[in-house]
Amino acid sequence: MEAILQARGLKKRFGDLEAVRGVDLTIAPGETYGLLGPNGAGKTTSISMIGGLLERDGGEVVVNGAQMTTTSLAPKADIGLVPQDIAIYPDLTARENLRFFGRLYGVRGLELDRRSDEVLEVIGLTDRADDRASDFSGGMKRRLNIGIGLFHKPMLLILDEPTVGVDPQSRNAILESVEHLSDEGMAVLYTTHYMEEAERLCDRVGIIDQGEVKAEGTRRELVQLVGQLDRIRVSIAGSADGAIAGIRSLGGVSDVVSADGTIEILATNASEVLAPTLAAITTAGAAVHSVTIDEPDLEAVFLHLTGKALRD
Amino acid sequence: MGPAITIAIKDLALRMRDRSVFIVGLIAPLALAFIFNLVFGGAFGADELSLDVGVVVEDEGAAGEGLLGALRDMDSSGTLALTEFTSLSEAEEQVEEGTVGAVIHVPAGFSDAVAVNADTAVEVIGNVDAPTTTDIAAAIAREFAAGVRRTNLAVTTALSTGAVPPGDVAATIGDAASAAPLLGVGDIETESRQLNTATYFVAGLSIFFLFFIAGLGVTSMLEERREGTLFRLMAAPIRRRSIVLGKSLTSVVIGLVSMIVLVIASGIIMGAEWGPPLGVAMMVTSAVLAVVGVMTLVGGFAKTPEQAGNLQSIVAVTFGMLGGTFVPVAEGEGLMSSLRFVTPNGWFMRGLGDIASGDAMAALPSMGILLAMAAVTGGLGLALVRKVVHA
Repeated sequence: MEAILQARGLKKRFGDLEAVRGVDLTIAPGETYGLLGPNGAGKTTSISMIGGLLERDGGEVVVNGAQMTTTSLAPKADIGLVPQDIAIYPDLTARENLRFFGRLYGVRGLELDRRSDEVLEVIGLTDRADDRASDFSGGMKRRLNIGIGLFHKPMLLILDEPTVGVDPQSRNAILESVEHLSDEGMAVLYTTHYMEEAERLCDRVGIIDQGEVKAEGTRRELVQLVGQLDRIRVSIAGSADGAIAGIRSLGGVSDVVSADGTIEILATNASEVLAPTLAAITTAGAAVHSVTIDEPDLEAVFLHLTGKALRD
Repeated sequence: MGPAITIAIKDLALRMRDRSVFIVGLIAPLALAFIFNLVFGGAFGADELSLDVGVVVEDEGAAGEGLLGALRDMDSSGTLALTEFTSLSEAEEQVEEGTVGAVIHVPAGFSDAVAVNADTAVEVIGNVDAPTTTDIAAAIAREFAAGVRRTNLAVTTALSTGAVPPGDVAATIGDAASAAPLLGVGDIETESRQLNTATYFVAGLSIFFLFFIAGLGVTSMLEERREGTLFRLMAAPIRRRSIVLGKSLTSVVIGLVSMIVLVIASGIIMGAEWGPPLGVAMMVTSAVLAVVGVMTLVGGFAKTPEQAGNLQSIVAVTFGMLGGTFVPVAEGEGLMSSLRFVTPNGWFMRGLGDIASGDAMAALPSMGILLAMAAVTGGLGLALVRKVVHA
């Protein structure tokens, strides 16, 4: 299937600052791609070039088969861009905001009314549809900000750090909305510096720092890329000495240590070896009290790749 | 054009909700014009250019009679309200009390003195609180004196060539004066092309406040850039010039509506007389386009809405002063009177004066110049403003 977005070799310089240095991105239809990096990594600059807002110094962007430039019209119609800062008209109502931007994207007539109702439902603002946005809480404004981006049913929704400064409840509502859209087949490019959001939402993640995508893939691929292993801790009663050799021989297990009633297993994929491990322990005559699994997260990957923490 | 109209409609809706546009565009100019009319309207009549002018003619010769006759004609035509005094002291008293704004005094022996080229002068005594009346009385006196000098020159020339015997000098002067009036209504034609007081102040203040309204387009674009909504507009599948066009359209529509409402309201409330509606509509449209052009150019130099607002305010006040919003500079002389033609205000007032006089065709040059100003400043302004929507 043809990619909905292909960005190759994106470059952007602001004076002496090389903000983006050859970023490559490819997103398939229906895929949720996370661009994970700290503030100032080049995420917003990259998506500004992808969205046709910013002239690029190098590279190319192809959206749904069409070249994107700042003057392109067709590729822009295929994208819904949700900026990091809330970009709504506070003196217009939620419905008026949606309808105004809908018109700019060519939505007309009854479709405008129908789509307004649908989007208000998705973003949970049906009850406040005719209230001015200036009366909304920060979270509600964020949701309206997203609603505007998806009003015209874009093939690719670009969300630039949509949960910054949002309370936990609204944040969860936003993440659920993104999951819902993704389930409906909309491709999503999601930038964030929250590792948990990238892990929860994204099919693939690109680690970006200092204007470069350092690595990309699924969470597991990234973890494996940097050599991080899952750690399984099994607390037992009785002796499991007879099980150690069997566990060690399981595929994907790199090390097994047993001491003081605890067996610790290092494996590339904990979920694959957990069941045979527990079976071996019980077969050896020991009773399992508890199991703890520590999977290396993207924070660890980021630290490994860049030498610094995501929130640095 | 569709996206530009969509943007303009949205901006108009926002401006309607932000009631300041009503204050700046309608209430302030109308209220100030009403106050100005109350304060300064006393120098003029309600409907016509009429001045409370007194005259003391102590001269018994042809020149004194000539001036008196001319002033009586002006009184009859309603151009001024003439009061004749028999003594200078009485006249000075009335000026002091404000009964008349100014008095023209022709001293005894003026005609004889002129005939032999002796020193003499026509004197104007004015009330400090009636500067306009005093200025106009002085202009009448100057014109009269110039007329007398012309007559004297003609007679002197005739005598020197031997065409008139010395014994017929007095009769010759009288004949010359009656053959060519020293001063007539025709001499103040330019004044009669002026608007009446109420119309003058409404017109002046409406175009003054129009500058503030016309600046809203550029200012709102800079505001949208700061608020982030401009980037959202730029991300939409519309041409970037549609954004600029939409903003300009908003300024033009608000400016036109404001001016039209002011013209109608001032006619009903203050008795303003604008002249033929079609001519006024064309003049108003030309002025709105010119002012939007100027404000777009000025705003184009700004990086923030505050900068734009400040620059636009400076230009509005400067042009207002030069263009005659607060004082009728057209009646003055010298640089100030000429500088008004640098401003849309000056051309607007001049064009309206032409239309009000019933000569709409005479207003065409003013309209043409306003439209040329709109094209030049608007074109340059749009080129500057487009940088806002080009990242």
